[in-house]
Order: sequence, then structure tokens, then C-alpha cells
Amino acid sequence: MMDLAKPQVMDRATQSVQHAATQERGVAFVDALDGIMGSARATYDEVLASLPVPHRRVERWKYTPVASWWNEVKSAEPMTAAEAGCEPNPIPGFDAYRLVFVNGSFDAAASDLPVHPGVICMPLSQAPVESLQSIDQHQPEQAEWFAALNGKFASEGMYLRVEKNTILDRPILIHHHSTGGGSVSFLRHDLVIEANSQVQCVQWSTASDDAVGAVNVVTRASIGENTRVSLDKVQDEAGQIKHVAFEDIRQDRGSRADVHTVTIRGQWVRNDLAFRINGEGAHAELNGIFLPLDGEFVDNHTTVDHRVAHCTSSENYKGILYGKSTGVFNGKVFVRPDAQQTNAYQQNANILASDQATMNAKPELEIYADDVKCSHGCTIGQFDNEALFYARSRGVGLEAAKAMLVHAFIGEVLQGLAVPEVRLEVEHRLAEKHQWEIWSDHPDNES
Amino acid sequence: MAYDGKDKVLEEVTGKSYEFGFTTEIESDKAPAGLTEDIIRLISSKKEEPDWLLKWRLEAFAVWQTMEEPDWPHLNYVKPDYQAISYYAAPKQKKQLNSLEDVDPEMRRTMEKLGISMEEQKRLSGVAVDFVMDSVSVATSFKEKLGELGIIFCSMSEAVKEHPALVRKYLGSVVPTRDNFFSALNSAVFTDGSFCYIPKGVRCPMELSTYFRINESGTGQFERTLVVADESSYVSYLEGCTAPQRDENQLHAAVVELVALDEAEIKYSTVQNWYPGDANGKGGVYNFVTKRGICHRRSKISWTQVETGSAVTWKYPSCILKGDHSVGEFYSVAVTNNAQQADTGTKMIHLGKNTHSTIISKGISAGNSHNSYRGLVQIMPSAANARNFSQCDSLLMTDTSGAHTFPYIEVKNPTAQVEHEATTSKIGEDQIFYCLQRGIDAEQAISLIVNGYAKDVLNQLPMEFAVEAQKLLSISLEGSVG
Repeated sequence: MMDLAKPQVMDRATQSVQHAATQERGVAFVDALDGIMGSARATYDEVLASLPVPHRRVERWKYTPVASWWNEVKSAEPMTAAEAGCEPNPIPGFDAYRLVFVNGSFDAAASDLPVHPGVICMPLSQAPVESLQSIDQHQPEQAEWFAALNGKFASEGMYLRVEKNTILDRPILIHHHSTGGGSVSFLRHDLVIEANSQVQCVQWSTASDDAVGAVNVVTRASIGENTRVSLDKVQDEAGQIKHVAFEDIRQDRGSRADVHTVTIRGQWVRNDLAFRINGEGAHAELNGIFLPLDGEFVDNHTTVDHRVAHCTSSENYKGILYGKSTGVFNGKVFVRPDAQQTNAYQQNANILASDQATMNAKPELEIYADDVKCSHGCTIGQFDNEALFYARSRGVGLEAAKAMLVHAFIGEVLQGLAVPEVRLEVEHRLAEKHQWEIWSDHPDNES
Repeated sequence: MAYDGKDKVLEEVTGKSYEFGFTTEIESDKAPAGLTEDIIRLISSKKEEPDWLLKWRLEAFAVWQTMEEPDWPHLNYVKPDYQAISYYAAPKQKKQLNSLEDVDPEMRRTMEKLGISMEEQKRLSGVAVDFVMDSVSVATSFKEKLGELGIIFCSMSEAVKEHPALVRKYLGSVVPTRDNFFSALNSAVFTDGSFCYIPKGVRCPMELSTYFRINESGTGQFERTLVVADESSYVSYLEGCTAPQRDENQLHAAVVELVALDEAEIKYSTVQNWYPGDANGKGGVYNFVTKRGICHRRSKISWTQVETGSAVTWKYPSCILKGDHSVGEFYSVAVTNNAQQADTGTKMIHLGKNTHSTIISKGISAGNSHNSYRGLVQIMPSAANARNFSQCDSLLMTDTSGAHTFPYIEVKNPTAQVEHEATTSKIGEDQIFYCLQRGIDAEQAISLIVNGYAKDVLNQLPMEFAVEAQKLLSISLEGSVG
């Protein structure tokens, strides 16, 4: 008899099942990549073999089809931003430190690394090996096959170490650009932010119109006591790019981490964001918007793991689905047995703007402590006809009225973006993608 | 009608000896452990079933063999060894007791608290009653009345013999044999259950309850229930009872199918109080039930459940809203205490236009127990203007218990409106304090607060059931807050 009286905290690895045919395809994929780019860390072979290659029966990949991945086995062509015809700074005039990667390789010429006391920032390939090994040891990425794949192949990314009591004067922008046919790019960003510091990061991914391939990004951030870190993540990839991203954020006492995930464009996007709150009094803020069009697929998985008492988390994801797009939201709030006095809030609201769009939502709560306040809400609906009528009866056209409603709907999340320049650029690009004219002369955009 | 007068019913009710008489004809009254085609043939032949049913069972068995026991629920239990179970046994003879004095005093106390009548107490605890004449006459007169209206309410084996056309048409139509591991198993080996048919336009005048089918209580492990409500009819069906039920079978894999034809309404209420095992989680019943209803045009199915028993519960009463304007409802209170585990919820599958569904689920976890809500709301492209509202609240009584919510929401139609909300909290100390200072002791205060919390669901139960269910909630939570 198992000890049933003991609370069994579900481990995602225990729920996983391997599917023979998919496993085979995954292994073939790894072998092909191995032949082309060679592995960066052989230690991951074992991890890869032990994890199930995602398929529909793996609960966390129930709504995420991965079949299209197996076609991408070409090596990414190393290129500079200039050769790729890519503007190093995606936000015109944005004053930030900058790391530019093209097809997974670092472009030193296009970059502008932070020079600031107490800050060590460099491409991963130049980072001290022992520091990286220590991160690998203390902060292994999520137990997911795609994350392990990144572990095996990623040789480039950003290494950032911020010493305690440092406030970085400008945001750090990590710009990744994909171009050309059939590339698979791996990026791995490791951030160690020590106590009482403050850092703003922006991750911006773009791709050229003719780009075909895949991007796999793992970001690990260790956030020290009383430190404040924000990460604004913007995905605006044209072409046919599959994008899978894992963020693993660990928070110490009294820290605050804000992660905003904005998906503007992306044929196939999967974001997997995990917070582990290890110190009391910490706050995690995670918000996102996604507005897929046509056949785009956007999947946001989030996990907030409350491991200690007196912490709070707030989550708000909003999606509007156009055309034949598909959206997925899976949010999990996890409250461990000792995490008393946790206050966790999760909200996911979606609008289906077309009769061929699909939304799959799964807001989950898993709670093992009694003195907590946890709630979640999830809605899926359509544009409010009365609001549309109100606008139209005052002479606003249908499309413009819808754009106004959209602005109101996602505005709440956009307002929260840590860097104002990012917010304006996101609004601009969204308006461009969806041809909302009204936005360009919206008073908010003047600020 | 199948009921040809008092004598037959009398015989059935008193029928323990009759039943055993029947089983003595075979060499042994218990089939050897294990499940093979031969065992299924044996079950079928013992029950004198027609060929089509045997074939159906064998097909189910073939499917079952290819299936694996689900491991996705948030449950942790030792999987039963399906080859160690005997799939056919003559109804177990309960130990006959001579008087109520011999009944387990703890069980009696519970029954008294529930306010169960002496006669009922005797029956439930298996006391050899010299005749519960009252019950018999009540049952008989009810059956006569139902017969007049053309309502069929009988055991599944009887229905297979007397109404083969109806059974054949609807059996497995809502829960196909290959639906899941437990339904396949049940289809292969079910021994008995209830069958109910309400003819066109008939409003069943009373609540149909397994209460009245005394002789069939304890039909056991693999129960099969089929309720068919023909056009414009109405029936309210009660399953189970509030009294604690001890059962020697550890595994229960029942299947319940409801068919609501055009404009019909079925209200299905369950109170489940199987033996939950002791405080350390030893023993207790595994309750793995598949319940599903199909709604045709303008029909309505309403599931109400109060789950307080069983060591492990795996149960998702569902509605397939196939017809336009059909309505599905699910009201649930699930209480887990000590080492109990429950993974329960519902599925609302919207296919028809203007279909509506409501889900109200209230979980209460005490002791070291774990209580999960798992629900699916699926809006298919054809379901224009579908509406769903879900509310799943959890109440945690101790810091060693767990409350979990796993809702799945899949929407493929833009005109649908789906709302889901869930909260988790504990009983406020201020609430208890308020009661204490007004002279209500802590135990009563908790009972008061819990009943208030579960009111939305309890209100859906038929009157007598609701009163008992309220008491049951308090009893289930006794001593859970110290």
C-alpha cells in the first residue's frame, strides 16, 4: 500500500508517457542535428533519452501539435545582421544595450554590450565555463524534451551577471533574427541577478519574410533578494518559423519579477514560462497577449510554483483569435504544503473573432496549503455586440469600433509592459499587422 | 408490464433464499478469479442472455484487453489486479444479524444522526427483518402506479428479457464500450443494474429511486444503469443513499447512461457514501464510474451529486448536448476526509445550437485528503450561441489536504460564451468566531458554514434527500477541524 496519507505533489515527469513512433522521430531529429551542428553539451544525451518526445498523450502537449518540427534538420547559416538585411535595433531610436543574434549566432558588430560597474554581460560562448556549469547544476531547465534539446545543442546566448546593489541604467535588448531556409537556431540565456538590483530585459525575435525553420530559446533567471527584474518578450516573426521558448525564473525573498509575453506574429509559437518562488514576500507578475491570424498557432503554458509562505502572484493572459488561428492557454498555480498565506490570481480572457478560430484553455489550480487565497477566471467569448452597436450608432465604422474594443481589451496588459518604447512599438506593429488605422492617432500613442 | 402482482414482488423482496436457490444449481456460486472469454460466456449464460448481448460483451472484452488503465487522474492508488477478481458471484449473502443490537454501534450512531427510520436501519445493516411489510406494500403500490403510466422500472437483467428491443437500441449508445478502460470492463462483465423507460409525454409522478428496489441493493461491483426518457417526458431518478454502505468489493466500475429524447427532462441525483477506508487510508472502495447523458432537441439533463464516500473516486457525469436548445447541468459537492482521494467533475459537450450548460462544483477537503475538479467544456463548430458557466470552489479544512482544479475549455465557435471561475479558500476564523460568540460551538459552526457553502448544490436535490445530505456533510466532516 502506498502512503496515501502523504500529500502527493504531482511531478510532471511522472505523468509522461512515451509514444514509440514519436520517440523514434524525435531521436532521428536529434541524430540529424547532431550530424550537422554537433552537440554543445553531451551530458544532455541521457536527459533527452529519458524524456518523452511531446505528443498528444503527454498532458502538457495535448493541444500542441509538434509534427511539423521533424522537417527542420538543416543547419542554421551563420550570418551577420548586415548580411541578413536586418536592422539591429528593432525599435527605432530605442536607447538600450543590445545583443544581436542572427540564426542563433552572435553578431558582435551589431551589438552594444552593457558597460556598467557591477555588470558582466557577454555572449554565452565567451562566458566562464564554471559559472555556466554552476547554473546548470543549480537551475536545470524544465523537464521537457525541447528544453533538453536546447541543452544539448545551444552554444550561444546571453550570459548576464549583475552584482548586488546594481541598478542598470538602460534596458538590455536581446534581438534574435531568423532568416533563410530551414534553419534551427538554439539560444540559451542565463541571468544571475544578485540582491538589491534592478534590471530590465527585452527579448525581441524577428524573422525575414522568407525565413523557414525553428527557434528554440531557454532563459534561466535567478533573481536575488529584493531584486526587481522585468522581462518583456516580443515575438514578431514573419515567414514560417516555429518558436519554442522556456523561461525558468527563480525568485528569492522580497524580489519581484515581471514577465510580459507578447506574440505579434508567429506561425507556431509555444511559450513555457515557469516561476519558482523560493523566498518569502516575493511577487511574480506574468501577463501576456496573443493575437494570431490566419493559420497561426500560439500556445502559452505558465506555471507558478509557490514554495514558501507569504508570496503573491498575479497572472493575466488575453487572446484574440482571428482567421483559422488556434490559441492555447494553460496556466498552473501550484501552492506547496508550506506556502501558507499565498495570494495567487490568474485570469485568462479570450475573444474568438472568427468562426474558424479555436481556443483551448486549461486554467489549473493545485493547492496543498489551506490558508491561501487562490482564484482563477477564464472566459471565451466574442466582441460585445452592444458595445459595437454603441460605437456604430455614434458614427464609428465596424472595423474601427472593433479596433477600439481590442485596444481596451489588451490595453490592460500592454500598459504593464516595463519599457514604454516596447509598448509603443508593439502597438504600432499590431496595428500594422491587423490594419487598424484608428490606433495611429490614438492619444495613448502620443505619450 | 413485468410486474404481475404482489406475489412476484414479495418473492423478489424476500428473495434472498430464492436467489441463493438459483445459485445452488451450479457447481460453485463463484466463478474462478480472472477474466477470460469463458467467464463472460458464463456470466451471460447464467443470466440467460440473448446472443447479441453476449456478442456485445465479448467485443467489449476484446477492446478492454487493448486498453490501459488511465493514469492521468490526480490520484494515487494501487491499481487493482483485474485477474485476481472474481467476475461472477451469486449475490453475496450479508451476514444476517438478529437484531439492531448486533449492528456496529458506530454505524448505528451515524444512521441515527441521519434520521433514518428503524425499519430502514434494519434493512441497510442487514438485520434479518421478519418483514418490512410496510416497505413491501409501498414498493408494490408504487410499481402498480408506475405500470399504469407505462413506465418501465426494473432491473437490467429483467429488462434484457422483457424489453430487449429498448435495451438493444439504447445500451451502449451513450457510453460506447470502447469509451474508456472502466466502461469497457463494465460492458464485458456487468451483472445487473437498473433500467428505466418513461414513455412519451409522461411525467413520472414520483422520484424513482433504487431505495424501492430493495432486493437489488448491492447488485454490486459492475452496475449498469440505463434511463431513457421518451419525448416530452420527465423523470427524477435517485441513486444511492445517504446511509454508510459497507461493501466487500473494493472495485466498483459502474456505467450510467441517460437518454433524453426531444423535450424530455431527466434529473439524476446521486448520494454516494461508500466505505471510505479507515483514517489511514486502509481499505475503502474504489469508485470508478462512467456516467453520461445525451440530450436531444430541447431536452435537459441535470446531474446532482453528493460524494462523501469511497477511498478513491473517479467520476465525471457528463452531458452531450446534441440537440438544439438542449440544457445540461452539473451540481456537485465532493467531500473528502482522512486519506480519501477524489478526481471528479463533468464534461459538457456542446454540439447543438443554443445549448446551455451550468457547472457548479463545490469541493471540500479535510484531513489528508485530496479533492480535484476536472471538467471539460467543449464547444464544437456547430454549436452556435452556446453558453456555459462554470464555477468550481474549493474549501480547505486542514493544511495537509489538497484542492485542485483542472478545467479544460475548448471552444471552436465564436458565438459561444464560456465563463469559468474558481476559488480556493478556507473557513475564515472570523466566521467561526462569530458563531462561537453567539453560543454555537465550533463543530456546529463548521457544519453551518459548510452547508451554506454547498447550498447551491444541495438545493438541487429532492427534498428528503437534501435534508439527509446536509446531515451527511456534517457527519463526514466530524472531527476534521481541531
